[in-house]
Amino acid sequence: MGHPTMKWLVSLVGAALLALTSVAAAKDVTLSFYYPVAVGGPIPKIIDGYVADFEKDNPGIAIKAIYAGTYQDTLVKALTALKSGEPPDIAVLLSTDMFTLIDEDAIAPFDDLLRTDDDKAWLKSFYPAFMENSQTGGKTWGIPFQRSTIVMYWNKDAFKAAGLDPDKAPDTWDELVADGKKLVQRDASGNVSRWAVEIPSTSFTYWLFQGLTTANNVRLMNSAGTQTAFDAPGVVGALQFWVDLSSKDKIQPPGVIEWGTTPKDFFEKKTAIMWTSTGNLTNVRKNASFPFGVAMLPAHQGRGSPTGGGNFYFFKKMSDDERAAAFKFVKWMTSPERAADWGIQTGYVAVRPDAWDTAAMKTYIADFPAAAVARDQLKYAVAELSTHDNQRVTKALNDGIQAALAGAKTPQQAMQDAQAEAVRVLRPYQ
Amino acid sequence: MSALQASGRGGAALETAGAWLLALVWILPLGYALWAAIHPSAYSAHFVLDAPLTVENFVRAWNAAPFARYFLNTFILVTMILAAQLVLCTLAAYAFARFSFAGRDLAFILVLLQLMIMPDVLIVENYRTMSALGIVDTIPAIGLPYMASAFGIFLLRQTFKSVPRELDEAARVEGAGPLAVLLKVYVPLAKPVYIAYGLVSVSYHWNNFLWPLIVTNSVNTRPLTVGLQIFASTDQGIDWSVITAATLMTSAPLLLAFLLFQRQFVQSFMRAGIR
Repeated sequence: MGHPTMKWLVSLVGAALLALTSVAAAKDVTLSFYYPVAVGGPIPKIIDGYVADFEKDNPGIAIKAIYAGTYQDTLVKALTALKSGEPPDIAVLLSTDMFTLIDEDAIAPFDDLLRTDDDKAWLKSFYPAFMENSQTGGKTWGIPFQRSTIVMYWNKDAFKAAGLDPDKAPDTWDELVADGKKLVQRDASGNVSRWAVEIPSTSFTYWLFQGLTTANNVRLMNSAGTQTAFDAPGVVGALQFWVDLSSKDKIQPPGVIEWGTTPKDFFEKKTAIMWTSTGNLTNVRKNASFPFGVAMLPAHQGRGSPTGGGNFYFFKKMSDDERAAAFKFVKWMTSPERAADWGIQTGYVAVRPDAWDTAAMKTYIADFPAAAVARDQLKYAVAELSTHDNQRVTKALNDGIQAALAGAKTPQQAMQDAQAEAVRVLRPYQ
Repeated sequence: MSALQASGRGGAALETAGAWLLALVWILPLGYALWAAIHPSAYSAHFVLDAPLTVENFVRAWNAAPFARYFLNTFILVTMILAAQLVLCTLAAYAFARFSFAGRDLAFILVLLQLMIMPDVLIVENYRTMSALGIVDTIPAIGLPYMASAFGIFLLRQTFKSVPRELDEAARVEGAGPLAVLLKVYVPLAKPVYIAYGLVSVSYHWNNFLWPLIVTNSVNTRPLTVGLQIFASTDQGIDWSVITAATLMTSAPLLLAFLLFQRQFVQSFMRAGIR
């Protein structure tokens, strides 16, 4: 053994073995991670970049990030894989899919992973408004990631031309109607060339409607997701206001307004005000050829907006090691620096207050103060409509709202019908 | 007499006008796509002749996803499916058309039954099968459920049945076996049907989205449509310029192929009876 060559050989073998084990350790746990893309920009590249950084910081964990289409596609893909016995480990899905995923027995809560004080503090670090759609029955099922709210965008040039203060958006429903009447522009033959306001009523109908019901101080459902209050007087009143914007005040285009083309109408100056997601900030900033402002939704009895967007979920089939690794990943992805960077790159609202204190976010806000409006509105925000059998309940409400906007039913009748349908759908969960 | 001629001329004029109208309706979306794709997004709803031209939309679309790889995958996918379909459907159609065996009609009814079922309904079951075979996230997994095409079998069976028996018998008298008869008599006579079917199959699988999205996970296996979905940014409204650019880009090979072989396609559709 004293022979020098022998020694050299032994150390070489030892080094090789060490290298081998460390290679094995480097890929100890592999996690699949499904994510949707719901805003413009090179989202898969950003996610791949985060994953690469995480893997560098955490040897032993490999994340397989899989782009899975829209939110709807991602849910279909995840549930298909689940039913074939191979669910993903982590997925970003709509926060409103929580009850559906629980009913499918697809996901596991996060609570037993929160062992240290540090973990518990981390869970408390998110905005409470975002946690409303992530917790039920005393358990946490989702972790906020790409979240948004509704805000009001206004065209400052149009305000100036109408003789209004361009730096002051309407702050109440009454001001909205009063300003709106000045903002509507008609040509010589009486046709409208510019509307005052557009609140889109396709795709996310119920969500925008919640911007009105919340201001009217009513909630659409309970936190257990088993009851709705679509026929409450405040809800009917909110719908009446929405219908009146078109039919009585004539400051909004009549009928149903397309979600997808509302931003285009705003850029084309066909409407002076639009309500839409904060996820549009980057888009508007890039495409508006005029100075614009961003404001909280106008208040009435109260103030507020629903939250929206996607959460992290953990699927059930993971081993304890995998869950620990997945937990590490989600904590890393929601760290203040990451949350700030994700918000700046996409327009989503950074999900925790301390993300807004990071240097990167402060620089961004100094340059673009409008981005902070969504944050300030969060203290008035409520949960997005989410119940058991969510898709059918939501559809009942959407159909009711659209029927009222199209003039096929009175708001009272439309909401009574929607409530009756929701009660029927939710009966098994009582 | 002259009244009849006049009405005949009037009818022809009406027909021409109708054809032009239909052609216009058909080309309009394509024309709009081209307009929006080659102009900056500010002009996507303003039709002014001096709008500046740009290729920036195409550059943005191309860079948003690994489209070169997706093109290759889609090409491999449609070629593989078409090849397998042609072999399987020809053999099955031949058996159904010209051989009598126990249970033939029942088997044919089962094949027809497959025509009634939407493929989307079978997604979970198909996924389970692919996962049992261990081929999830491969290109063959995308194609496998479509290879035994009921439509192809049905179409070819009807064509083979319309081939005169005399030709079949003449070939047999010359000493040809069943396979030789198939290759020398039936397949050449069914050429227009093969072309028409090939076109339908290629364009269907070129455009198929949901199943490929679900059964694949990586860039190396995914087809173009999955890459295209990235522009459906639903939270944000629609950016027509980049969507139209991406759509034109991904459908260009199909459009080109159709323009080049237009005459053959139209003729084979006429002969194949897919009208």
